Amino acid sequence: MSTRAEEGVSATQTAPVPDLRDCGPDGCAIDWLSSKRHSAEIDDMNAFTRFSLEQGWGDGLPVIPPTEARVREFLAANSRHPDEVICALPPLNAHCTVEKIVINAVMAGAPAESLPLIIASLEAMANPDFELFGLNATTAPVVPLTLVNGPIRNKLDIPYRHGCLGGAPTPALAIGRAIRLIIKNVGGQEINVTSQSTFGTPGRVAGILFGEWEERSPWAPFAERRGVKGDAVSVYGTMGTMNILDTTSQSGPDFLEMIGKSLGYPAANGFSPAMPYAEIMVAVNPVWAEIIHRDVPGLEDVQEMIWNFSSLDADYLTSKHRDQLENLGRVIDGRVYLATQPKDVFVVCCGGTGGLHATGFHTFGSCLTQTRAI
Amino acid sequence: MAIGKVLDPMAARADDITSPGPDAGSLAGRIVGFRLDEIWRAWDWVAEYWAGEFRNAGATVKFWRSSQGRTGPEGERVARSLDEFLTGIDVAVVGLGNCGSCTGWTIRDALAAAERGLPTVAVCTEVFEELGRNLAQRGGRSGLRIHILPYPLNEKLKVEVDQVAIEHLPGILQTMGADLAGLKQAAG
Repeated sequence: MSTRAEEGVSATQTAPVPDLRDCGPDGCAIDWLSSKRHSAEIDDMNAFTRFSLEQGWGDGLPVIPPTEARVREFLAANSRHPDEVICALPPLNAHCTVEKIVINAVMAGAPAESLPLIIASLEAMANPDFELFGLNATTAPVVPLTLVNGPIRNKLDIPYRHGCLGGAPTPALAIGRAIRLIIKNVGGQEINVTSQSTFGTPGRVAGILFGEWEERSPWAPFAERRGVKGDAVSVYGTMGTMNILDTTSQSGPDFLEMIGKSLGYPAANGFSPAMPYAEIMVAVNPVWAEIIHRDVPGLEDVQEMIWNFSSLDADYLTSKHRDQLENLGRVIDGRVYLATQPKDVFVVCCGGTGGLHATGFHTFGSCLTQTRAI
Repeated sequence: MAIGKVLDPMAARADDITSPGPDAGSLAGRIVGFRLDEIWRAWDWVAEYWAGEFRNAGATVKFWRSSQGRTGPEGERVARSLDEFLTGIDVAVVGLGNCGSCTGWTIRDALAAAERGLPTVAVCTEVFEELGRNLAQRGGRSGLRIHILPYPLNEKLKVEVDQVAIEHLPGILQTMGADLAGLKQAAG
């Protein structure tokens, strides 16, 4: 969805106007910015952060005051009109305009060059099949994970090697934080107001935004497998990160068995009777990826092995859980499956060359992963 | 210290319907639809009891079981099924808001019923009351009728839940705007 917001056009727009996309920090002949202005201390970061919390805008970390000059400067670096409606984010479903996106991105400290990535991510999340509505309201600690493919990874310094899920000092944190602020301030996700998340997760502050190490991956880039070549984002509703350690395995099948069996635990959302179907994502380090590909060349075979090994003997569940799943027809030959089908097991390659670990990303449930070109 | 202007990062939704919508009135001759789910057995038990009382009052009762699979082809199937269900009833009782996402879907389905002009009540447990009301307001209908059951509920034995259903019958009727006198006469 991409339309123009009526409220973004001022009353002075009666005659033909030039393209003002690059009107810059000094201002436009016409005021395209329709957001309400607030008076605030703008040269004292601590004071402004306190102000942002009082206003309900902040996330607790220091925020950069979104002055008109900063917002215009950000806009000037991009070829988007501020009143362009990108999407509607639940539960509020108000217009998510470029202007609101940019204001929040400025607050988060995101670079202006990241706007296309942020917009693509939001468009992906707004697809009803992603079920952001349920994701934002739930008691679960789910957060949209953003996986980046293509040359933009290097342009924006999106991490995909050592510490790519946390610890690598890159602008990805500010970009992920911008997306989180937008979901809060534009989508209306507020803790204990519209979100009942019992524990939350650290990923709800700066998101989980990382790249795939395409140059070391034996498999095609994740987005390309889903039909989008080049710069792309994929959003996936994850319950957080789960470490999988293996200092013993030497072969591809052994690694896949360890990964699969580690992913399959009874209280994973994928086994919940409340979730009729689920996906599962696993990040494999480049060392393991090479061994796995050597021994199990076909990605479909890799997916099927993880799918099988992550299933559980239904008798391992408590009787009440087993009965509930059986009534839903989810016990197949005595087993229950974490993901609906082998194709719903997503394998990506990233992480440091020290190997030894994989990371599992359990899904929320019925959020279907969405991929969009940037 | 410099005072300057900053731009508001928040979006707002201007529309809101504060009306609770039409009363259910007399249940005699009406079709009352219960929206159930696949999670909360306690809600099945409550709905069964209330349905019996509504039948005693001359109503016909229909049940529709929701799935949280609201995406992809399964989501399209559920949406069609919900549409058919709402088309075939006169009064909607929609539950159960007893977790975050299921409160979200309870409210969303209740809003869909209310949008059709049906007398509609959403049912939540008390821990999720505020979430339900906030989601109704952000969904553009802050006046949505919501009846609150005690929490925890699903953790109780059936005999305990049945007692909750009995105790909350007057309350749900009042929230529905149902004709209490007619129900009492039918029961008597």
